[in-house]
Amino acid sequence: MTMAKEAEPAVRTARNIRRGPDLARLASRREVLVAMAIVVVIAISTAVHSYFWSSANISFIFADSIVVALLALGESFVMLGRGIDLSVGAIMGMSAIIVGFRIQNHGMTLLPAIALGAAIGIALGLGNALLVGVTRLPPIIATLGTFSVYSGLEFVVTNGNQVDTIPNSITNLGVHTVMPGVPILLVATLPVIIIAAFVLRYTTFGRAIYAVGDDAEAAYRAGIPVQRILFSTYVIAGLAAGLAGVVFLIHTSGASSTTGNTDNLSAIAAALIGGTALTGGRGGAFGALAGSVFLSATLTALSYVHVSDIWQPAGVGVLVLLAVIYDSRGNAVRLPRPHRRSPKEGRPQ
Amino acid sequence: MTTLAMPRRWQLPGWGLCLLLALIGELTYFTITTRYFAANGVPGILVLAEQFAPTGVLALGMAMVILTGSIDLSAGATASLTAIVCGLGLEKGYNMWLCILAALLAGTLVGLANGLLVALAGIDSLLVTLATQFIVTSVLTSLAGAEPPFNFSVTFQGLGQGAIADVPDDVLVFLVLGVATILIVNYTTLGRSIVLVGFSQRAAQYTGVATRRTLASVFTMNGAFAGVAGVLLAAYYNSAQPDTGTILLLPAITIVVLGGVDIFGGRGRIGEVIIAGFLLGYLSQGMLIEGNSSLTITMVTGLVLIGALVLKISLERNFRQALAVRLQRLRTWHPSLSRPD
Repeated sequence: MTMAKEAEPAVRTARNIRRGPDLARLASRREVLVAMAIVVVIAISTAVHSYFWSSANISFIFADSIVVALLALGESFVMLGRGIDLSVGAIMGMSAIIVGFRIQNHGMTLLPAIALGAAIGIALGLGNALLVGVTRLPPIIATLGTFSVYSGLEFVVTNGNQVDTIPNSITNLGVHTVMPGVPILLVATLPVIIIAAFVLRYTTFGRAIYAVGDDAEAAYRAGIPVQRILFSTYVIAGLAAGLAGVVFLIHTSGASSTTGNTDNLSAIAAALIGGTALTGGRGGAFGALAGSVFLSATLTALSYVHVSDIWQPAGVGVLVLLAVIYDSRGNAVRLPRPHRRSPKEGRPQ
Repeated sequence: MTTLAMPRRWQLPGWGLCLLLALIGELTYFTITTRYFAANGVPGILVLAEQFAPTGVLALGMAMVILTGSIDLSAGATASLTAIVCGLGLEKGYNMWLCILAALLAGTLVGLANGLLVALAGIDSLLVTLATQFIVTSVLTSLAGAEPPFNFSVTFQGLGQGAIADVPDDVLVFLVLGVATILIVNYTTLGRSIVLVGFSQRAAQYTGVATRRTLASVFTMNGAFAGVAGVLLAAYYNSAQPDTGTILLLPAITIVVLGGVDIFGGRGRIGEVIIAGFLLGYLSQGMLIEGNSSLTITMVTGLVLIGALVLKISLERNFRQALAVRLQRLRTWHPSLSRPD
């Protein structure tokens, strides 16, 4: 398909990879653009309100973005494979609730909590993966269904109770900083993002996700196990959402049966703003982090200029529109891309 | 498509029949197991349909959108918005019909905005409506304020709670709009363009179908349908809460998909969507009467959606393959080959 000219080719040639970073390309990368936008937002807000540039506020912006960043990271894997996962919020909620009850009632410590959260995420992600990768339901429908199921399960598991007493030893992690402005949460999450970025960029598996997302038919003919790759992207999304659930507990020190119901869309928004395309094959792991920090910074800035919380969703909406309009520059005149079809179709019998 | 030339609108035969049988089975089940379900006979069962008629109306508009291969995530929020616009007008004491008109206009405008963004900017509808959903939610929350409008005039409530010959008004509106949608999709140029655009936008464009106009109209119509749903919701609940329509988005999409409309567009029948609306609606009503919580019902709805789709896809795949093999044999048939195998 004809991509917009400025878009980076999804699978770079060997020569491109060897050439190393080049400044012009680096500056046009979405993550860098978003990072510059974050700096601009912070600069303007600080000019209006000097308190904005305080270590407490900056640290809050980072800590506040981590939950969405993890969700968006998982969502990026799925979106890179040209899928969509509408259930990550509910998976996060399930993980937050189950882990929260273990911590609250059974005194679970942090490391087992993270392991449990990851396990729950993987288990629920497997549900999506089976539906999309094995029974080959369209992802949007399959994950819409599992979203209903998982959020119903949240209610069943909580039985109307909620998690509200998380010990300080755990919630402190959400408040403490390594150095002024840099919360522990961010430092703890960075390795996850770096590993994800490495996997996407330098492993066969990662490159296969891009290939499948860019053109499943071509990937199939090149010998890539398309369904298996798709399967694993949903498991990874589940894993990331499970971890996000634990971070949610640390950050907000509570969870209820409705936790995560609205976070799906924020996650997709953050991934989109970070440059991951819904049409697959374009984007990356750092985009997810940059997108969610940008969202968090902008929303915080809005509250500083006394814009009511009511208008926060509208802010997210406008940002998403701007991001996708920016993405589709110059695309409007040509024929739109054909609709997503399952990779099965068009395959020789 | 498949290697064999299949009829274009070919589908699992009788998916509608499956749905109808399931509906009858479900009604029988609830009648037998739950004392209150059929306590007042047929009119009583029809009155139960009042509660999910707005969801059905939302699903009708959504069905047309999905037939074009697009999706509208903002329809639920639009219904909330129109309910609040209507409610605010009534609270200020304006004429009832004026308020309804204003509400429909609000819905249509949101739909038009979606349509223009999708058609002219060429952006994936999922993204556009994701964004407009956020924006509409903000607008309606700020319109509703701390105390959303409630307690409307008796005439207006009559719209949501009255009945003509035992058929509640809401249900009547749903059925009339359903028939109208069937007529639009099957018997008008616009309707055929909708299906063709959904089947293949490229083919539609090369055939001379105004694809952009079709997309814009379909989203506008969906906005108007969401407006109707919003007015019905305000009349039925006698109040306009900010989440009144928003929570209906997932059920509406579930109805459309359960009704056999292909999520990639181009295939589906509105009649089956209507049956699916009743099937899912009575399922949730029956479970509510049995004393289940609404979240349990959400969960069951999700399971039904997944189960039905897995069944349908596997049936279609096997049936198609069997048919393809048989047709292949027929084509290569020669007397010397016809030995028993």
